[in-house]
Amino acid sequence: MPGMRLARWVAAVPMAVLALVTIYPLVFTANVAMKTRRDYVLDRFAPAGSPRWDNIAQAWAGAGMARYFANSFVVVAFAVALLLLLGSMAGFALSRLRFRGSSVIYLGCLAGLFIPFQVIMVPLTRIMADTGLVDTYPGLILAYVAQFLPFTVFLMASHYRTIPPEIVDAARIDGNTVYGVYRRIMLPLGVPALLSVGILDMLFCWNDVLISLLMMPSPEHRTLMIGVNALRGQYSDDIPTFASGVLIAAAPVLLLYLFLQRQIAEGVTAGSTKG
Amino acid sequence: MRGTSPSVRPAGPGRAGGTTTRREGRPGAARTGAGRTSRGARAERLAPYVLVAPAVLILVTLRLWPLVLGVNYSFTGDGASNGTPVGLSNYLELAGDPLFRTSLRNVGLLVLLLPVAVAIPGLLATFIYLRVPGHRVYRAVYFFPAVLSPVIVGAIVTLMLGFDGPLNAALGMIGVGPVDWLGDPGTAMFTVVGVHVWATFGMALVVFLAGFSTLDASLLDAARVDGASLRQVVRHVIVPGLTRTIQFVFVTTMIGMLTSMFGLLFVMTNGGPEGSTYLPEYYIWHQQGQLNRPALASAASTVLFVVMLVVGLAQITLLRRTGRLD
Repeated sequence: MPGMRLARWVAAVPMAVLALVTIYPLVFTANVAMKTRRDYVLDRFAPAGSPRWDNIAQAWAGAGMARYFANSFVVVAFAVALLLLLGSMAGFALSRLRFRGSSVIYLGCLAGLFIPFQVIMVPLTRIMADTGLVDTYPGLILAYVAQFLPFTVFLMASHYRTIPPEIVDAARIDGNTVYGVYRRIMLPLGVPALLSVGILDMLFCWNDVLISLLMMPSPEHRTLMIGVNALRGQYSDDIPTFASGVLIAAAPVLLLYLFLQRQIAEGVTAGSTKG
Repeated sequence: MRGTSPSVRPAGPGRAGGTTTRREGRPGAARTGAGRTSRGARAERLAPYVLVAPAVLILVTLRLWPLVLGVNYSFTGDGASNGTPVGLSNYLELAGDPLFRTSLRNVGLLVLLLPVAVAIPGLLATFIYLRVPGHRVYRAVYFFPAVLSPVIVGAIVTLMLGFDGPLNAALGMIGVGPVDWLGDPGTAMFTVVGVHVWATFGMALVVFLAGFSTLDASLLDAARVDGASLRQVVRHVIVPGLTRTIQFVFVTTMIGMLTSMFGLLFVMTNGGPEGSTYLPEYYIWHQQGQLNRPALASAASTVLFVVMLVVGLAQITLLRRTGRLD
């Protein structure tokens, strides 16, 4: 198929351009972050001669990025831990145990998957306000858990369905209770799925804007993403510091991506191939 | 949402009853008291419910219940008439609000652009699958913006799109522009959608590639031997083999466009200029959070939900029909 080989090379050119266009903005931002304000105003494109880290330090300490970072870290850590615990428990029960009402509950979870946050954000905010959970860490953690639990349960259940039921039966015959099966068999066998679902949940929570904007109104409770936007207003005439803040906020995801790209992609595609 | 309703396969033979008999069969077990055994059996019977209870509780109180509550709010008043039923007046107000009308028009624009947003990752995935030189690098690079927060993407892109920013500088070199990407009501929405597509097509790309890996390679080889052109291969081998993947990408891309552009709007335009980049989600947030009109916002939420259901169902029917015609 000679046409195909030619087409491959022809396609390679726009694809390479697109790849450059995708990478360049990040390089540009990193370069700006290393410049002084004066250098930025004079020539924003020239490579920063000697990298300077004082913008980063300024954004981290002076602009409060450290605080925002810690807020995000705490909330995401608790939310993901809870998601994985509750998701694997429910996923196990819904895929490998027979009990009355299981199919209704499973369908309820699926329905939850298709309720966008925008549709329930007004009543949810009111429920959170009525229970005193607005502007508290538990409130935001709970909101994240509620938002991403259907997805987590769904993926854990479809993973557990690939585990042969005989393994569960054998464990029961050996005298394990249902909880024992969960703890000794399902949790260890679920690790690959827990890992990829956990990474995705982590990204979802870390990257979220709207939920944390609604649940954490006071400035000292801002998560990192809201903090970055606040930084833009604070440093509108100091682009290098702003770029540094963006870089700080992007760094954890960048690192995660460099090391776990395959797991992230697997998590994304799991939803499309299973179910 | 995938055509076939998901079947629940409740796992092999149930075990709840079995344990009791087995325990009693063991020597000595009967003497330790029937009470303990039956308590154990009851605990076992209840175990599945204990395992699902926290998840069910959270989902019912924080997802399903708010949905009911929200629809209910949308028929009540704001401010002074808080909580009193007002019939359809919120919906009438929405219909008369130019900002909400703009946001719905923008939804229409998104739906029109949807095929493009699906075709781009589809085409790129095809070339990566056909091993364009450098395909491994492309895959990794294209997917990267999809894992970044819209806030980060929006912040970086805003730097790029400035009037004297890199993009206009590059265009200037070939004698075009400068363009006021975010300041002109006529272009701002296209700019934001373009950024959204650029930042998220990696997700669809990865899904497409997963679909490709399930394709029958021998079919492709056969087509190759028969001297099929690239277009014929795409039309007769790849598209029919990927019907389910294409459906999935269509639906998820649409959901993404309607529900995850808030971050970009928040950072890049704040709905402006002149309200030209409003989307329902931004409208809802603005009415509720900034203007203290929760009931009106709830009505907008309900409209958004209905729009999504209609567009989603229409897509599935349409795609199924074209799938059958092919």
